[in-house]
Amino acid sequence: MNNQIMNEMIIETKNLTKVYRRFVKKEGLRGSIEGLFKREYEQKEAVSGIDFNVREGEFIGLIGPNGAGKTTLIKMLTGIIAPTSGEISVMGYYPNNMKRGFKMQYAVVMGQKSQLFMELTVNDTLRLFKEIYEIPQEEYIRTRAFFTELFDVKELMEVQVRTLSLGERMKMEIIVALLHNPRVLFLDEPTIGLDAIAANQIRRFLKEVNQKKKTTIVLTSHYMEDIRTLCGRTVVINHGKKIYDGGTEEMFARYHDVERIYKEAEQDA
Amino acid sequence: MRKNFRVIKELVRLRFQNLMMFRLGFFGPFFVDGSLFLVQLLVFDAVYANVDEIGGWQRGEMILYIGTFSLLNAVNMVVYFFGVGGIPDKIKSGEMDLYLTKPVSPLLRLSLESINPGSLPLVVMSLIIIAYGAGSAGVRWNPKLFAGYLFWVLLMLVLYYDLEVLIRSLSFFVVSTAKMQKLEEACISLSMQLPGTVYYGIYKLIFCFLLPYGIMATLPVKYLAGECTLPAALYGIGITVLFSALTALVWKTGIRHYNSVSS
Repeated sequence: MNNQIMNEMIIETKNLTKVYRRFVKKEGLRGSIEGLFKREYEQKEAVSGIDFNVREGEFIGLIGPNGAGKTTLIKMLTGIIAPTSGEISVMGYYPNNMKRGFKMQYAVVMGQKSQLFMELTVNDTLRLFKEIYEIPQEEYIRTRAFFTELFDVKELMEVQVRTLSLGERMKMEIIVALLHNPRVLFLDEPTIGLDAIAANQIRRFLKEVNQKKKTTIVLTSHYMEDIRTLCGRTVVINHGKKIYDGGTEEMFARYHDVERIYKEAEQDA
Repeated sequence: MRKNFRVIKELVRLRFQNLMMFRLGFFGPFFVDGSLFLVQLLVFDAVYANVDEIGGWQRGEMILYIGTFSLLNAVNMVVYFFGVGGIPDKIKSGEMDLYLTKPVSPLLRLSLESINPGSLPLVVMSLIIIAYGAGSAGVRWNPKLFAGYLFWVLLMLVLYYDLEVLIRSLSFFVVSTAKMQKLEEACISLSMQLPGTVYYGIYKLIFCFLLPYGIMATLPVKYLAGECTLPAALYGIGITVLFSALTALVWKTGIRHYNSVSS
């Protein structure tokens, strides 16, 4: 039964594309005046024809340089934005339909956006999430206890969030996201700005969550250490295109360093 | 519905806790909003002291009108003004992402997460003005009259909410709605001083249909004064339904149109 679940495809995309239209303004005052009457737009293909599958229970890494399309892909997978074309299915849902049943089953943590109430304590934020996700009281207490112990933050739960360090805050973001035991956890740069010790702790906890809770985790990161330590499989994206999809160890053995991954994998693709 | 109620309760509770973290911030608005209300009353007093009739309304009806508009404005300030007011920033900063990924209506959460108890004294003061105005206008309260008045106030609060959300939802499509908000402010301050009964021609079209701030306090007072005809009542209900549908359409289209911001 467990193997069956582990083999189930939980995320599937086919030829997924996202095109943004952006205004191009010519230089100077004359350009601004022209722009008032005749606007010129350019098409920017942030994600271009990506085929991408994830099995339940997998821990998969998405890497690529700035502007590669990683975050856009995560935003399409979570339904925040709609794809321009292509097919997408996450847990059997079309994400941008924003069905409640879909939202109940995943969580997203964005390294640069906080969902905590800065002036209050983490427990206060957790109480709101308990209501939002309709978590029964007993389960809420059990899950909260599990994660506070796992993340070793018991003494920080009643402290004003604003006073926490960046590393502590990121632990709290992850706890808040995991409170309803989501099937899929999307992590967009969770270790950004963290020191080596805090980043290591976060990695260790994420690994445990993936193993103990069987949560499918999709991680985007700039840090190769995140990918190397956590992800069995890695997808490399550059200029909106998938240029590598395979084993993480194999990728490092083949390309050695990040620059070569981006350069040579693109040529190979 | 029950689930939403629990979320709302938690949002209100969190908001109170948040405000109480700053003692001056919690007690300050009571004094500031109370003072603003007094200034407003003095202005009204100066304007209307020598006016017996405006748009067919006597002084009593005018006081009722002022009280009713203040009540609408005060309830708006307490319940949803600050939440709805934050929508353009949430869209521009990309913070909307986190609202869209939660299994609760983003609009409900945004609207009710910044309630402002500091404006509660305005509600109380507005009720006092209404009671005084009703006395001056010779209104004899009975349960049916009270229920009818309450119905119109609640309906107009829905219309007020619709207009606020509608204007701010335009942020999904344009870079800034600041000018639209200025226009809204101007309409509100004008409507605070002039009842809908004074508008004719193009002004009636603007203030009673396109930007129906002119009917918001007018219809509840017309009802109290026994002047609310069936066509006027149907118009009030119809326009609220129309604006609710339009607001829902613009909001939903906006959410589909939302492109977030690059990180």
